[in-house]
Amino acid sequence: MAMLPLEGVRVTDFSWIINGPQTALWFAAMGAEVIKVESRVYLDYMRIGPPAMADDIAGPNRSGIFHNLNYGKKSVNLNLATAKGRELAYELVKRSDFVIECFAAPHTRKLGLTYEQLKAVKPDIIVISVSLLGKTGLEPAQWVGWGPMAASYVGMFDAQGYLGGPPRQTGGTWPDYAIATAVMFHALAALRHRDRTGEGQWIDASMGETVIGEMPEWFMDYFMNGRDRRQRGNRDDFLAPHNTYPCKGDDKWIAIAVGSDEEWSALCRVMGTPAWTQDAAFSSQLGRWKNSSAIDARLNEWTRQYDHRELARTLQAAGVPAGPVLDSVEVYQDEHLWEWGYWWELEHHEAGKRILPGLPAKLSAIPKFNYSPPPDLGEHNHEVFSGLLGLTDEAIARLMDEKVIY
Amino acid sequence: MKPLDDIKVIEFAEMVSGPMCGKMFADMGAEVIKIESPGTGDQSRRHPPFPGDIPHREKSGLFLYLNTSKKSVTLDVTRPAGANIFRRLAANADLLIENHPPGHLDKLGLGFEALHRLNPRLVVVSITPFGQKGPYRDWKGSDLIEWAMSLTGYNTPTMVDDPKKENPLRAPGHPAEMMGATTAAAAAMLALCHRERTGEGQWVDAPCWQATLNTAKVEMAVYAYRGVPFNRLRAGAGAGLEPLPCRDGYVYTLWTVDAHFEALKELLGHPELLEDDLFKTMKGRADNDDVVRLAIRQALLNYDMDDLVSRGQALGLPIGAVYTVAHAAEDEHLKTRGAFVEIDHPAAGSLRYPAQLVRLNATPSSPSRAPLLGEHNEEVIGRRLGYGAEELSAFRADGII
Repeated sequence: MAMLPLEGVRVTDFSWIINGPQTALWFAAMGAEVIKVESRVYLDYMRIGPPAMADDIAGPNRSGIFHNLNYGKKSVNLNLATAKGRELAYELVKRSDFVIECFAAPHTRKLGLTYEQLKAVKPDIIVISVSLLGKTGLEPAQWVGWGPMAASYVGMFDAQGYLGGPPRQTGGTWPDYAIATAVMFHALAALRHRDRTGEGQWIDASMGETVIGEMPEWFMDYFMNGRDRRQRGNRDDFLAPHNTYPCKGDDKWIAIAVGSDEEWSALCRVMGTPAWTQDAAFSSQLGRWKNSSAIDARLNEWTRQYDHRELARTLQAAGVPAGPVLDSVEVYQDEHLWEWGYWWELEHHEAGKRILPGLPAKLSAIPKFNYSPPPDLGEHNHEVFSGLLGLTDEAIARLMDEKVIY
Repeated sequence: MKPLDDIKVIEFAEMVSGPMCGKMFADMGAEVIKIESPGTGDQSRRHPPFPGDIPHREKSGLFLYLNTSKKSVTLDVTRPAGANIFRRLAANADLLIENHPPGHLDKLGLGFEALHRLNPRLVVVSITPFGQKGPYRDWKGSDLIEWAMSLTGYNTPTMVDDPKKENPLRAPGHPAEMMGATTAAAAAMLALCHRERTGEGQWVDAPCWQATLNTAKVEMAVYAYRGVPFNRLRAGAGAGLEPLPCRDGYVYTLWTVDAHFEALKELLGHPELLEDDLFKTMKGRADNDDVVRLAIRQALLNYDMDDLVSRGQALGLPIGAVYTVAHAAEDEHLKTRGAFVEIDHPAAGSLRYPAQLVRLNATPSSPSRAPLLGEHNEEVIGRRLGYGAEELSAFRADGII
């Protein structure tokens, strides 16, 4: 097996829920040793909370959401509320290249995980802090919150609604995932910097700032023109028709995004060139853009006669950019995702056979990433505390009794 | 010293995905040479917003943002002389970023295999809608399409009351291409790590759809682990998690767990409707979501946004304001953090821009302005590759640069 690019890199990972774990997942899949530090005092909410327990049977090792976010890692227990627990955590930090944490600032201070504290333990450590709105600045630096709150603070939800409608929420917890890949890139740049200069550093990443940088049309329009764009539904600055349209069945939709005259002609041909399409107003891109509501009303009537996946194939075959809106069942059935190699199969001792999402990129020289099973809670206590820190079995047993390794 | 100041990148890409990936490298100090079509340049040069809404190829807000810190050369790579210049640039580069349809570079004789023979250390990153293999490989993509297919796209907006009226929406901007760009940038850095250890270049296949799908891990797990299809309806969800109107705007909060529900009641002055014993447990609140939600919504209307947020946070409640973009752009916290940077540009003038997605404290680097179309032709094609003034004018006359 080809050597993975991050073999030899060690990450002590105090993070939980989504953004930190998703970042650490990249490290783990690419060969870094990721030691996830957890505690029964404050379990990763994804192990216990959300409703995705294998076969609806509760248990800290059975959550599908936790599995999707934590494969390839090791898990140890440390109760950071105890002095001894923090001391052992620092022993791990001393032997690590990276620390990841995503607590709200007051908790980070309480747990002894600020950059200043960690730097005192290991001067060249690279600390990745992922937070709502950053850990420096004014009052919001102290706030508790999660991904969507960052999006709402920086205007994303206000801009998410239907044309002229109230603010709405973007699906899932978008900022958590958006920041994970952005952080991964910058963390590797920081590693490169450390290897060249010996200098570690703090990456004080703000989900709000990542979201700002990923909606430049809105911010640049404001900076250039003082305009607040607000809600625009599915209107594009350029393309029309550009929307999601109803299809046959319950809550089934197709997305169509037409730019050029050729694509428009192709769409008209697939529809059988009905008379309305020949309106002179629709003959140019600008004309279609100005009249997009009228076109959408016609298209709605046409698309609803067809199956969303079949219609997408037909339109694509004719050269029209279109795609089916897939639901949670359909993504697992999708042939393209299987052939491309998006999924991998987990054989889990409690949850059985499950299909998990892999990393969404392929590297030709690295045909296989580290997709080892997500760790059970505390699965690697002995391996890490004995193997890495050199504690005796008696010492480990005592620390367990004292609820330090807990 | 910037972390990537010894990395040379060729960017042969247009619009959002490839250029955003190139920007991330450029803003961290890499030399990014952007190859544009002679005469017209990157499509995003024709994309709004423009100052005063007057189109100008040097003033697109989208282009100016996505192409900070880069150099621009114009090159017609469909002509042999242009392709030859491209090869010479690639021979000395560490990374090529491209976002053309699969097979396009092969047709020009500039595909991964050909470039790898020329420069075995080169990392090529191809950002496409669907990837280099599979039945959709040759499908026409568009940001809306990759987004809509991604499950996160199905689930936007959340908390749907009437699925017949509320069609799936794209997030503002080009979210799928942005996700493809940051994923590609992370994967490219990993390929560079691999090269430092082995000397070996490689080809990175980074599709925007898969990158966006990867943000739906919760929605996927609901089906894969319980066999229950995920649906986007409000029914059964509840407990906040959506913008809620207050007296002067909206707030965003949740009340799933007991501690948060208690804090919310305190914040709202203990409205009588919420004191029912039925609502003391998580299950009780979920079973009576309609009643609880209505009572909370009514009470919120008595208070202002900033007051709710500041008192709520002090009570330990995760609660935030729902600001508009204009408000965020003037927000003191974001300004204090350096979330925006001022950049001067010869055509567009001095403007504020969003800063980098993530910043490093030991190596702060500020993006510099985007290049004019072909601004670096003489520096890169002339001085660096050694073409003389006469050859350059011949290339120009021929439409090659």
